[in-house]
Amino acid sequence: MLGKVVVRAVLNGQECEFLADPRQTLLEVLREELHLTGTKEGCGNGNCGACTVIVNGRPVNSCLMLAVQAQDAVIETVEGLARGSKLHPLQQVFLEEAALQCGICTPGFLMAAKALLDVNPDPTEAEVRHYLAGNLCRCTGYDKIVRAVLKAAQVLREESEKAAEVSA
Amino acid sequence: MSLGSVGRPWPQIDAVDKVRGRTRYAADMTLPGQLYGRILRSPVPHGIIRRIDTSRALKVPGVRAVITAADLPPNGPEGKGRVPFGPYVDDWEILCSDRVRYIGDEVAAVAAVSEEAAAEALELIEVEYEPLPAVFDMHEALEPGAPVLWPERPGNIASRFDIARGDLDAARRKAHLVLEERYSTNRIYHAYLEPIAVLAEAHPGDRYTLIAPTHIPYKARVTYARGLGIDPGKIRLIVPPMGGSFGAKYELNVCMIAMLLARKTGRPVKMVFDRAEDAAAGHHRPPLHFDIRLALDRDGRFLSKEVRIVATAGARTMWTPPVVATAAHRIDALYHFEAVRAEALLVYTNTSPTTCMRGFGNAEMLFAFEQMVDQAAEELGIDPVEIRKRNAVRAGDVTIHGWRIGSSALEECLDRVALLSGFSRRKPAPRHPPASGKARGLGLAIGHHVSGYRPILAEYDGSAAWVRLDMDGRLSVAVGEPDIGQGLNTVVAMIAADELGVSPSEIDVMPVDTAHSPAAVGTLGSRATIMAGAAVKAAARDFKKKLLAFAGELLGADPGELVLERGRVLWRRGGGESGEREGGPGASLTLAELGRRWAAAHTGSPLVGQGSYRPETVLPGPDKYGNPSPAYPFAAHVAEVEVDVETGAVEVVNYWAVHDSGRIINPSTATGQVQGGVAQGIGWALMEDVAIRGGRVENPNFLDYRIPGFQDVPPMTVEFVGESEPNSPTGVKSLGESALNPVLPAIANAVYNAVGVRIHDAPLTPEAVWRAIQRRREELEAAGKEREAQ
Repeated sequence: MLGKVVVRAVLNGQECEFLADPRQTLLEVLREELHLTGTKEGCGNGNCGACTVIVNGRPVNSCLMLAVQAQDAVIETVEGLARGSKLHPLQQVFLEEAALQCGICTPGFLMAAKALLDVNPDPTEAEVRHYLAGNLCRCTGYDKIVRAVLKAAQVLREESEKAAEVSA
Repeated sequence: MSLGSVGRPWPQIDAVDKVRGRTRYAADMTLPGQLYGRILRSPVPHGIIRRIDTSRALKVPGVRAVITAADLPPNGPEGKGRVPFGPYVDDWEILCSDRVRYIGDEVAAVAAVSEEAAAEALELIEVEYEPLPAVFDMHEALEPGAPVLWPERPGNIASRFDIARGDLDAARRKAHLVLEERYSTNRIYHAYLEPIAVLAEAHPGDRYTLIAPTHIPYKARVTYARGLGIDPGKIRLIVPPMGGSFGAKYELNVCMIAMLLARKTGRPVKMVFDRAEDAAAGHHRPPLHFDIRLALDRDGRFLSKEVRIVATAGARTMWTPPVVATAAHRIDALYHFEAVRAEALLVYTNTSPTTCMRGFGNAEMLFAFEQMVDQAAEELGIDPVEIRKRNAVRAGDVTIHGWRIGSSALEECLDRVALLSGFSRRKPAPRHPPASGKARGLGLAIGHHVSGYRPILAEYDGSAAWVRLDMDGRLSVAVGEPDIGQGLNTVVAMIAADELGVSPSEIDVMPVDTAHSPAAVGTLGSRATIMAGAAVKAAARDFKKKLLAFAGELLGADPGELVLERGRVLWRRGGGESGEREGGPGASLTLAELGRRWAAAHTGSPLVGQGSYRPETVLPGPDKYGNPSPAYPFAAHVAEVEVDVETGAVEVVNYWAVHDSGRIINPSTATGQVQGGVAQGIGWALMEDVAIRGGRVENPNFLDYRIPGFQDVPPMTVEFVGESEPNSPTGVKSLGESALNPVLPAIANAVYNAVGVRIHDAPLTPEAVWRAIQRRREELEAAGKEREAQ
């Protein structure tokens, strides 16, 4: 058996270092070694998106990525979305719009949606549906999730406009 | 009085934890020293176990226990011997003793310090099987000479249901039109996103703690206790937040396996299914086969209905017996008939056991019957809306089996959905399927359900609840119905909050735990909101009465002059507030202060209000006559589809759903229930099918078993109509299952309307639709040639 590998990464804005068995997935390390259980395992083979995290700005099925591949990466998980007690606009809008029921797929949706809005702050409904097509939800029928992502995009745009005005 | 929360959209009270990833589902929990359990499942569909050797598995480093049927505790009479058990039919074993009956049957189990060690040990358990002939098709299983799964149940009949009412001959004699049709629905997978996960601990004195998802904790532990040969009270069952279920997570064999591994090792055991295991052995919706004969008079009035149903139980019986009973006669609470007869057979096959799923047999029957209603309407030249109105039950009606319809806004649902969808633009179905391109069609279907179903537990119906104020001022509510992700806890908090003059966010709804929750039938049969909600309302009133009496003592006021609002008790006289002094009008006490002073006056006791709700139902007797539910919800749906004539692919492009669920407590979660139900219906109607070949589930993953994604579900219009239900203390009826029930027939009727072919077997896959179109063309061509020849 191979020895464990030291992996250095930035996780939710904090530099961190962890030991990973070379065969462990990023999902396993997040959940079992780092105790970040917000990221869920829905299928273990990349078909449902429940384990979506953001790695170097891109959404990734963490069940399909080895933890050792995260060397020097910037990783974002659902636990890093809120700033203290202030929820991220996506979280706030998901909550207000009831864009969740059982909640097991929600962290994956939030991270996939954040990855979308990070690169496309003003997506159309079709773009949202296309970009999030890799995430499955069995409870909501998706309608409220689409609305929530579009509304969160608007909130984020307004926030960044305000910030731009202030700095101007 | 404050404005109140009921009737306004309210965020789920557990949503903050959910969006922060803080909700701890079973798979997220770790108990100190826990071991990982895994199950060895049969690789053969039917066989005798000749030999099991676990010695090599036990030598794997890290393995702490390997158990087989030889390790099962006695559960027979007077604590001797092993006997089969089960919720409806005694055909469960925990671990197979001498025979396996499906690919996936539990043969042995391992507990080890790591998942890897457990997996390695599984591979080293040697089992020798002597194959037996197997049967996978339910019709073949009924044939003479078919392999028999349970020799004590000859003919492979797991259960049957028969019902008959009215004079069939007399009704049929008046018939102007008789339709005889065969329909079938398929085996689907609940496909919740959280695979089954449980944790178990064993304590001295045969006691256990089990953390496991279930809709029915009090019922489940009775089954588990029977399996283990112990008293149900020895099992403390804690229900964690559930990542979806839709009927699958009722009573699970894995719970008993985990408990036995914990007993054997003396350590907590956690068991988590992977998706493939969950999809293959985590139970499915049963396939149902219908033969229906419907007689109508010239005006389209239903006279008689005769139904024969065959369904498969799989190799063991879970919750499918009441499903087939529902399929056999619940439609009789949607429409009037002069006479009905139904027989339903539940049949063993060497396949994964089936169980209940949202819609519970009613959705299946509606798939068949609502298509037949459209067939009849077309033949008789009656509008689809009109024929339904002519036959549907109305408020105040008593159905043929004695069910009492307290309220119904079904006509309003029909009118409204027709208006919203522009149903009048619907053209007649084409006689010839279009030659190419895409064809659009509109389809209508109605549906209904119960709001709780009395025969689930004959002993009692209804629910109990507690409202409690602790010395720190915390308000909490306890009910026995678990929130299964649909938002029950939020609804319960809203009802309590409005009674108590606080915000729902100030009320904790306690997790269901058999150690301290009220006992309950559980969250099934669309009962939770009406039952738990009414109990909470009663408990809150009891609580308020006690609280005001106590505050009255403290303030020296008549409780009649006190009001509870905005988190405090206020002495109001003459309407005005006149200062904050204790002992006079205008004085007030906060809940926190009252909690502290009550606890001080009662040596630490919390202030507890208790309430219960016993609905006015009539338990159907042996003749099945009675009124099993306090209220019946109704719905009318319209689907608009686009059918690709060349490929047979169906896309749902628009969807409208109008529901009468009585009073709506939380419009935002209610809308979500309907949207989610419709999405599940779209998946079932068009894409989902558990493929079993040679007894093996061939698509146990989300790549090969596709559930609807973003691209498969259209925007939906959802509306609620109707008034408060008179038989319900909170005015509500149910919603969860009526949301799904009309979806399949609405889509199937729309497909017929688009291309003129009727699909009798769900799902309406591209291949099925394409073949039906080809067949129709061939029929028309043959008919044309015949005409030419004449």
